Amino acid sequence: MKKSRPMAATLAFVAAAGLMLGGCSAPTGAEAGEKKLTFMFRGGEDEKKAYEQAVSQFEKDNGVDVDIIVTTADQYTTKLKAAIAGKQVPDVFYIGPGDVQAYVQNGIVKDITEYVEKSDTIDLDNIWEYGVDSYRFDGKLTGQGAIYALPKDVGPFSFGYNKTMFEKAGIPLPDKDKPYTFDQFVDISKKLTADTNGDGSLDQWGTGLNVQWNLQPFVWSNGGDWLNEDRTKVTVDTPEFAETLQWFADLQNVHGVTPSVAEAQTLDTYQRWMKGEIGFFPIAPWDLSTYQKLGFDWDVIPYPAGKTGKPATWTGTLGIAVSENTQHPEDAVKLVEFLTANKEAQESLVKAGIQIPNLKDMAETWAADTTTKPANKAEFLEIVKDYGRALPGGNTYNAEWYDELFTNIQPVLDGKQTAKDYLKEAQPRMQQFLDAANQQAGIG
Amino acid sequence: MSMTMRRSRLHRKEHLAALLFVAIPVIGFLLFTLFPLLFSVYASFTNWNGISSPKFKGIDNYVKMFEDRYFLKSLWNTLYMMIGIPVGLAISLALALALNRKMRGTTFFRTVYYLPVISSIAAVAILWQWAFNGDFGLINQGLSLVGIDGPNWLQDTSTVKPALIIMAVWKGLGYSMLLYLAALQSVPRYLYEAASLDGASPWQQFRHITIPMVRPVTFFLIVTSIIGGSQIFVEINIMTPTGGPEFESASIVWYIWQKAFDNLQMGYASAMSVVLGLLVFIITFIQFRLNRRNQFSID
Repeated sequence: MKKSRPMAATLAFVAAAGLMLGGCSAPTGAEAGEKKLTFMFRGGEDEKKAYEQAVSQFEKDNGVDVDIIVTTADQYTTKLKAAIAGKQVPDVFYIGPGDVQAYVQNGIVKDITEYVEKSDTIDLDNIWEYGVDSYRFDGKLTGQGAIYALPKDVGPFSFGYNKTMFEKAGIPLPDKDKPYTFDQFVDISKKLTADTNGDGSLDQWGTGLNVQWNLQPFVWSNGGDWLNEDRTKVTVDTPEFAETLQWFADLQNVHGVTPSVAEAQTLDTYQRWMKGEIGFFPIAPWDLSTYQKLGFDWDVIPYPAGKTGKPATWTGTLGIAVSENTQHPEDAVKLVEFLTANKEAQESLVKAGIQIPNLKDMAETWAADTTTKPANKAEFLEIVKDYGRALPGGNTYNAEWYDELFTNIQPVLDGKQTAKDYLKEAQPRMQQFLDAANQQAGIG
Repeated sequence: MSMTMRRSRLHRKEHLAALLFVAIPVIGFLLFTLFPLLFSVYASFTNWNGISSPKFKGIDNYVKMFEDRYFLKSLWNTLYMMIGIPVGLAISLALALALNRKMRGTTFFRTVYYLPVISSIAAVAILWQWAFNGDFGLINQGLSLVGIDGPNWLQDTSTVKPALIIMAVWKGLGYSMLLYLAALQSVPRYLYEAASLDGASPWQQFRHITIPMVRPVTFFLIVTSIIGGSQIFVEINIMTPTGGPEFESASIVWYIWQKAFDNLQMGYASAMSVVLGLLVFIITFIQFRLNRRNQFSID
């Protein structure tokens, strides 16, 4: 008993001290004088494996110690913001193109243009321009100016079809070089929508598209857009835009070529596509590993094109940036370059079926191989090189105005409100949010 | 003990140890509760994106809030979803009464009803998301057995809130049931004996003995459920990541979170949190006042 009292006091003291210090403990384990970097990122198992391997290679080659912090996809933003608020910004971390503007203006990320242009680790000409340009910012608009990050990947969101279903229905296969018109697309979708087992209810549909990720390609190829050139005006109330949204809603309400109403946000059509019940469905690089196991033959084609006759779609990307306050800017940039362009890391990511190569030459070789699925890998490269655009919400200070369009869109999809009426009503609200965002960013 | 009494060495040493023990929660409170609380009050008067330094701008955020239809809607949604609280309490009291009897398998049922409480809310939310799926979901499949064509629960503006309420009730049943069970077992048997000697019917016994005797537990459950219910977030964020069809399932905390971390409006989000905090405080205060009036004792 006697002994336990000092013990208790010590215990309490240690615990109290631990509480106070817990919040601000420095990373330990580094030898004095050794260079140390922290790298924070998010991703699935394959990504983790590929990057851990690349990082340990980097450590060996450069004599730098890299601390890896991995989070899940949903926790990443919260954790990064907490790190920033606590002035513990990791030296190297992931950043979306949508964050570039805010992070640059607040001095969080470093201008790495000079380092990258002089680098011998990376050849900028061999990286997709779209990827690099997504992280340029000239103080007013993103997409041009100094480089603030390098792409971890570029994700062309493409379209695809169930080849087996076409063959069974005796419909000529789509031409990979000539996109369908909207009308052709509806016609073929109608032919594919059928009751194949004769039980009186449909079990096969032409398509089934989520509005949030599929409206952009149709709007763009029909000559519409979300914003004007200098991103100060919301242009969703144009006839082109309304026509496209109406057409999109009509796929269900008039033409009946998609499964039941109100599935815009569920996984249902995704599951149905995987079961072989859907004719047309989007295909992105991160789907490739899952789709290898599909029980039918499939391939990639361009999205159907509206009035302009040219297909369109969006290309996602995630970048790797360097903290403005890093102690070792040169090594940090080198790590970014290494992760973006390291051959082994790229190869293992591509092999895992979650992204296309960042390196142009490697991508060309990959696309030339038509023996593995999808045969038309070249479409992905076309999108990145030619017709892919950034998601509209990613180019402004925040995406509040962009989300607003989708928040109240359901009545249009259900056929209870016309696209024209809805867009007329939504435009002022979106404009208000955009104005606020631009004002925050000091533009307009 | 008078203060003038001389303290022994032993007393002083014990006093020190005690102080250190007390220090832990106090420091924890200061550091992790009071400081963030005061800071968010300050932040609520600023224009702050969460990464730069905040710029003071007075009560702008508070004015904006009452013109913000999504704020008002999410506040309404949160209130609406509290319908689940009385429903949950009634069901759990009924369950507790059932399980309070001497019969076979009570331990098994208690475990079954308590399981959701200890399960991770994230996992539970994903499970229910599947159960509520309009086409393949367990619930609609069950309904189709009795000839009902179930709705697409989470995508339909009229069913998304009821769907979330059903889940919340299910998740909370075990906890309130357990507390009621403990309360029921501490009701003195002689009260029932005396009542039945006086000819009270089972319903009268329930109405005039059981209900008043478990009132402290009911009060505790109502207060904690309202505080918890006003902070509902995880299940909303998982089951309806965009706030539901036409913002029908967005709760206030979900909206605060979205503004703070998605839209770079930490200052505005702080202002909304302050208002939420005040509302919860006021409601709880009223409850305590009302409860004091109902207090009575049996001796």
